[in-house]
Amino acid sequence: MNMSLLSTEILTAVLACGLLILCLLSPNKEKHRGIGYATLFGLLAILVTTFFQYGINETTFHELWIHDDYSVFMKELFLVAAILVTLSSIDFVDTLPRFRSEYYSLIVFAALGMMVMASANDLVTIYVGMELMTITFFVLVAYVLGNGRSSEAGVKYLLLGAASSAVLLFGMSLLYGLTGTTVIPEMMAKLHWSPALVIAVVTLIAGFGFKISAVPFHMWSPDIYEGAPTPITGYLAVASKAAGFAVLVRVFIDGLPLQNGVDWLTVMSVLAGITMVIGNVVAIPQTNIKRMLAYSSVAQAGYLLVGLMSADAAGVKGILFYAMLYVVANMGAFAVAIVVAKELGTEEIPDYAGLAIRQPLLASVMTISLLSLAGIPPLAGFVGKLYLFSAIMDKGVLWPAFVGFVMSMVSVYYYLNVALYMWRDEPKDNRPIHVPGAIKFTVLFAMVATVFFGIYPGPLAEVATMAAKSLF
Amino acid sequence: MGFPLLTIALLAPIIGALVLVFIPKDEHKIVKAISAFVMAISLGLTLVAYFGYDFAKGGMQFTEDIVWVKELGVTYAMGVDGISLPMLLLTNLIGFSAVFASWNVEKRPKTFFILLLLLIAGVMGTFIARDLFIFFLFYEVVVIPLYIMVIIWGSSKRVTKEYAGMKLTIYLLIGSAFLLVGLIAIYLNAYPVGQRTFMIDKLAAASYSEPFQIFAFALLAVGFGSLLSMFPFHSWSPDGYAGAPTAVSMIHAGVLKKIGGYGLIRVGLLALPLGAKFWAPVIAFLAVCNVAYAAMIALAQKDLKYVIGYSSVSHMGYVLIGLAALNVIGINGAVANMFAHGVMSALFFSMIGYVYEKTHTRYIPDLGGLAHQMPRVAIGFMMAGMASLGLPGLVSFIPEFTIFVGSFAVYPTMAIIAIAGIIITALYTLRALANVLFGPRRPEFDHYPDAKGPEMVPLLVLGSVLVLGGIFPHLILDMVNSGVEPLVSAMMAKLGAAATIGGGF
Amino acid sequence: MNDFIFAAAFYGLAGMTILSAAGVVFLKDIVHSALMLALSFIGVAGLYVLLNADFLAAVQILVYGGAVAILIAFGVMLTRRRNMKESNPNNRWVIYASFVSAAFFAICGWALMGTDFKPVGQQVNPEAAVEGLASLLLGDYVVAFESAAVLLLVALVGAIILAKGAKEA
Repeated sequence: MNMSLLSTEILTAVLACGLLILCLLSPNKEKHRGIGYATLFGLLAILVTTFFQYGINETTFHELWIHDDYSVFMKELFLVAAILVTLSSIDFVDTLPRFRSEYYSLIVFAALGMMVMASANDLVTIYVGMELMTITFFVLVAYVLGNGRSSEAGVKYLLLGAASSAVLLFGMSLLYGLTGTTVIPEMMAKLHWSPALVIAVVTLIAGFGFKISAVPFHMWSPDIYEGAPTPITGYLAVASKAAGFAVLVRVFIDGLPLQNGVDWLTVMSVLAGITMVIGNVVAIPQTNIKRMLAYSSVAQAGYLLVGLMSADAAGVKGILFYAMLYVVANMGAFAVAIVVAKELGTEEIPDYAGLAIRQPLLASVMTISLLSLAGIPPLAGFVGKLYLFSAIMDKGVLWPAFVGFVMSMVSVYYYLNVALYMWRDEPKDNRPIHVPGAIKFTVLFAMVATVFFGIYPGPLAEVATMAAKSLF
Repeated sequence: MGFPLLTIALLAPIIGALVLVFIPKDEHKIVKAISAFVMAISLGLTLVAYFGYDFAKGGMQFTEDIVWVKELGVTYAMGVDGISLPMLLLTNLIGFSAVFASWNVEKRPKTFFILLLLLIAGVMGTFIARDLFIFFLFYEVVVIPLYIMVIIWGSSKRVTKEYAGMKLTIYLLIGSAFLLVGLIAIYLNAYPVGQRTFMIDKLAAASYSEPFQIFAFALLAVGFGSLLSMFPFHSWSPDGYAGAPTAVSMIHAGVLKKIGGYGLIRVGLLALPLGAKFWAPVIAFLAVCNVAYAAMIALAQKDLKYVIGYSSVSHMGYVLIGLAALNVIGINGAVANMFAHGVMSALFFSMIGYVYEKTHTRYIPDLGGLAHQMPRVAIGFMMAGMASLGLPGLVSFIPEFTIFVGSFAVYPTMAIIAIAGIIITALYTLRALANVLFGPRRPEFDHYPDAKGPEMVPLLVLGSVLVLGGIFPHLILDMVNSGVEPLVSAMMAKLGAAATIGGGF
Repeated sequence: MNDFIFAAAFYGLAGMTILSAAGVVFLKDIVHSALMLALSFIGVAGLYVLLNADFLAAVQILVYGGAVAILIAFGVMLTRRRNMKESNPNNRWVIYASFVSAAFFAICGWALMGTDFKPVGQQVNPEAAVEGLASLLLGDYVVAFESAAVLLLVALVGAIILAKGAKEA
């Protein structure tokens, strides 16, 4: 038993509980800023420690817990997402009616759940980690108390999330029944084709597909993205999805054999194809920025699934690289949406008119983030797609690349629609928009990272390569 | 590696754009002065490179190599040879003129010039990159500034500027999606894992199977062809130019389009000669469609910009047929004609822009007798028009002639049809010019001044290149030939005995 | 154990579980549904007993049959609705849903029948089972165990935030 392999999770759990206690101790219940900054620095400190954890590839608790470069990379991704969400929340939390301070600790708890998922090497731990994340999100989604839409989204997420968990659990129990073990690498040798395995694979795909919002399990995302508080929508879109991918990749690549087993690659291909097409096509008519981003995030899940289709280190590296950039670009876009929602009180895209004149920084960040999502060079999204699609092309399969690149260009249509309103139109009133410091930092970070990793992807790509290799 | 001349030329507009970000938005004069200044630097450096190119040595010169992304095999590799130098020069000539053609932009000039400089830098980058990855990076960089410029400063006439901008962008991007698949396929097929590289010369040196070449060349032809407005992917071009502001039309028709031809030569012909050979007859046929069909449509146009838009589609047909000839003469002519057409169409668009800016109309029947009020502009129009119909003594005569010589040997029938296209070109150009410039003096235009001061710069710069290129054609052709000949001979060597092309035609 | 008694007990318990689960869905009064749910839980506990999982059966009765069912009853009481008729209505999707469920059930049934499940693990002495469970839970499975503890904490915090906050907001 090597507890040091759990250090990141222990630190995060301590931070989250500490923050809860801090909320109780703080004299003024609604003074939350201090706790917000404490969250920020706590997360940053944990992020720093993770950089020293690369290179340790070990398991403990009889292989139930694995600490490899892959999990470290994923944990860093969750931490980056949590940090950006916290930063963009600090001013948003002012608008919450009550329990402002507790909000931050829930963000950390959700991150803890994701970390457990990333490092879990057996189905039970994965499930508990996933439930920790999901239940935290139920609360966070419904956090705007007294707002019907937020509560509605919370209840919807609760019901659908519970249903998807049940489906997932059913698949997991079948796997246990077939192999007598819940440890993922041990399942590999014991599984061979049987009708029950087919059911298990299908239900697993359905359960994970819900988390990553792949078509046809994506129905929940637009409603819930729209109703949830905007920073939480961002968190849900980036971190929850990345966590879903973290376990999806580990379970399928390490645990489910392709020879003599079920050909899940074909299922993934079909899923990837329809997800890319439907996500992008349905995003076109959206007029609400959060719904548009919801469908765009469905489409992004399709691109990421292409990385899983190649089922090799190159593909997984593509997933890791792309997921990281996706976090940055999406958080940039959501941060802008947060400010606009707070200052202009709207989430409708036509109301973004004249943003380029009123607040050029926000308009630039929004444009750059969306274009990175569309995969336009020299922004980071392009390099990510290059990795994803060249991995599958290297296997001699061309159609995902065609579908992916053409659909990316289709996505430019609705992304540029936002740019159209922001850049072309005159604003309705000329008051400059105040951008709070924390948000300014978030958007600048998102912009710089998106441009930097697009022009010079080397460092991040190397880390992603190392992380992906640890899985094979 | 000595003085990084190309990098500085490339960075000048980018740094200029960054500086502009920090200039207060009401300082219009400073914004314009800085833009002109950085473009002057780029143009100056380009001229140094152009006249400092060592013919004796040949090949890529002024090279810079920095390993960029090691695991992908991306190198920040810059360099110019006889094919890219004329294109680079063209970019900077037009970029420099475009800044002055936009001198009267009063609506949000700061944003305008930032985007314009980024656009120019993007185009420049594609011509000097020796690495396919960097090439593609710059190639798509141009799309977004282009779109934003069209929707803010464009004009809605027959189609709205939003429609024009989106059509332009989507055509370009969908084309680039096919292109990208083709480029990645070449990259993956060239070398095994570990030795992969995006360097264009190394990719050209690798050997590919014939079916792969045919497949990849088709993707490239669609991608680059849609940028070059190859029939039937041309319909964005007239609409796009009509909706775009003057500077964007100048750059787009002048140089951006030429990236298509340039890429087709640099990557398509040199890396995939068998594919090129397979598709050459098809391209030649489409080229003739371009020439004839677009010229016919241009005849029927009433909007000046549409006339020039279709004429540029038609002229690209000549470039394509020169390429499809797959011999040194034809390709020489194609490259030289890209240069010639670039100068000519940019001058045309800048003159139209000037007239439109003053009179707010481009509708030919509404205009007339402008030579009375605007003699200088009329001279510009005439020069561009004469160059367009290939008058000897102006820049485009020799290239077009070369193309015909090169292609006649291979596709006699199609070359004759294409030559016949010149007659239609003459018809619509002369008619448009006559209707706009000549005829009785119209008093309603009396209060419009002629071009003066900075407004004269495009006319002077591009006009003098038109004349110089016509009188001293060797200035361009020698350069082009020094680039084309060694590369095409290498390609011919690859094709080996099977060098006769498209026997059926 | 006698095979016949085993089979009879299994089908009896399974039938009870399924029928009462159906009752949860179809009964119109939510209080009745809650009672049916408790009955269904108890049926599952019986199945556990048949599988020699005594401890699990006890937990099932204590936690699900007892605590969860009572919590639901409390929840129903706290809504302060006088008339419990039509408190658990169906909606118009019921026909489609029953088709989908039937199809899913049929496919699963077919798949499970067609699969040869081999007995896994070894028989353990019932007295030692609890001990083994304890050492597993606090040994190898400690991460899952502790995560579940954190999960409960979050659920508590969340319940307070949502319930109390909504009242005050």
